[in-house]
Amino acid sequence: MNPLELTLGIMTAVGGFVDISELVFAAKAGSAFGYALIWVFAFSTIGIIVFSEMSGRVAAVAKQPVFNLMRHRLGLKLGLVTLAASIISNLITCAAEIGGVALVLNYLTGWPYLLMAVAMTALLIASIWVLPFKWIERAYGLLGLFMITFAVALVAIHPPWGQLAGGFIPQIPHGLSTKELLTFGYFMVAIVSAVMFPYEVYFYSSGGIEEEWGPKDIMTNRMTAILGMGLGSLLAIAILSNSAQLFSGINVDPEIPGSAALEAAIPFGKWGLVLALLGMFFAIAGAAVETCMANAYSIAQFFGWMWGRHKKPWEAPRFTMTWIVLFLAALGIVLTGVDVMMLVEFAVLFSILVLPLTYLPLLLLSGDKDYMREYVNGPVAKGLGWLYFAIITAAALAALPLFFLTSGGNG
Amino acid sequence: MRRVWFLLALAACSKGPQADLQYIKQARSAGAEWALVNEQASAGKLTATYVGSMHQWLRQQIQTASSGLTEPDARYAIEMQALLSQPDDAAPEELRAHVDKLKQIEDSLESA
Repeated sequence: MNPLELTLGIMTAVGGFVDISELVFAAKAGSAFGYALIWVFAFSTIGIIVFSEMSGRVAAVAKQPVFNLMRHRLGLKLGLVTLAASIISNLITCAAEIGGVALVLNYLTGWPYLLMAVAMTALLIASIWVLPFKWIERAYGLLGLFMITFAVALVAIHPPWGQLAGGFIPQIPHGLSTKELLTFGYFMVAIVSAVMFPYEVYFYSSGGIEEEWGPKDIMTNRMTAILGMGLGSLLAIAILSNSAQLFSGINVDPEIPGSAALEAAIPFGKWGLVLALLGMFFAIAGAAVETCMANAYSIAQFFGWMWGRHKKPWEAPRFTMTWIVLFLAALGIVLTGVDVMMLVEFAVLFSILVLPLTYLPLLLLSGDKDYMREYVNGPVAKGLGWLYFAIITAAALAALPLFFLTSGGNG
Repeated sequence: MRRVWFLLALAACSKGPQADLQYIKQARSAGAEWALVNEQASAGKLTATYVGSMHQWLRQQIQTASSGLTEPDARYAIEMQALLSQPDDAAPEELRAHVDKLKQIEDSLESA
């Protein structure tokens, strides 16, 4: 285990953890329910750690991508359903990320939003074309560490640490009306979805194959998943806590992503604002790359095409064409003029609906002795895996009714 | 469970102030954010570019909320129009006065 590589891997995971959906829902959750939803972030983070670790282990041991194994394990029909579901989910999410990053550029420069969306898509395509996989992952992830500004801002505003720590204990606040309870339920489901987006796992495991992981990398995989995602989750919790402290008493339910940047501007002024916006820019841009690449990886792996960024773009032409077309399709959705917040709502809603479908094959594969040999799921991974599978299935069933009953969390 | 089904049916076909509640909340929050932005801007904590962009997006939020109302002549609709008629650099107190009125309407609708 190379300590430098491990540290860089963990830092990359930290900087790349927060995306537009987590940013939006963390800020809204804090203003609506104070610290009471922190535990849902913590709980969902354990879920994404469990599934990421599994997917990395499958990549390291079976040395085959998840979607390729999925087709062999589940058969063509069920595999196709899973593929279609994950493509739609990732495409909507990618559009939300492109819209989000264009919005942040608009806050930074004042240049027109739609023009920024076109320019950013071109820039993202160029960066993937030019940079090798490790640099794509590292550049966005490490620059996303500007998001630490939100954690520093939290310390600077002196929150009630006791109450904040109490938020880690699973709870439903007392005295809520039926409508407020439903809204709380909707936020729980949305946070689970935003934290456990399936693209993160597919991108992570495909990255393992790109970097030629083997059984010797299993410990690195475990440390990166636990520490990187665990620490990254603290940034989302910092955004929630800042929002609880700064917004909930003054009637603000952050309606646009730019409101979150105020959390750093209030204690630190213009520098805080700019650093927070830069953090948001790189974190959301990184997520746009990950969603698009996760989609292209899934399609190429499922159909057995040549794939990977370790190859020159023209050495894997169908894979290259796929990620470019997916980026353009996501841009097309943004250019229709649909509201970014609506895209975020749809991304979160659709993801939770397909989440069980996308995680079940991974759970089956990592528990299959034929593929995994002595690295098959142990009792902890197996128990946690099935527990989280039951939870995301329940969340998927509750998502649509809660969405309609609460007008998308707006009461 | 029956109560949930009732609420679900109500959400699907409701009109009037209850159906407008989500838009009232949206406009109230956008107005409160606008006041906060102007307050922080006057303290020199925000860049002019950010302030200009936020004004544009927040105004759009209130406009969208206003155009979604099923009762465009209601008291809350007039408050939203009053918010929209404010200049970008309106005093935070002025904006908060409208926000407080929207909040009162919102609370009375929620407790009804």
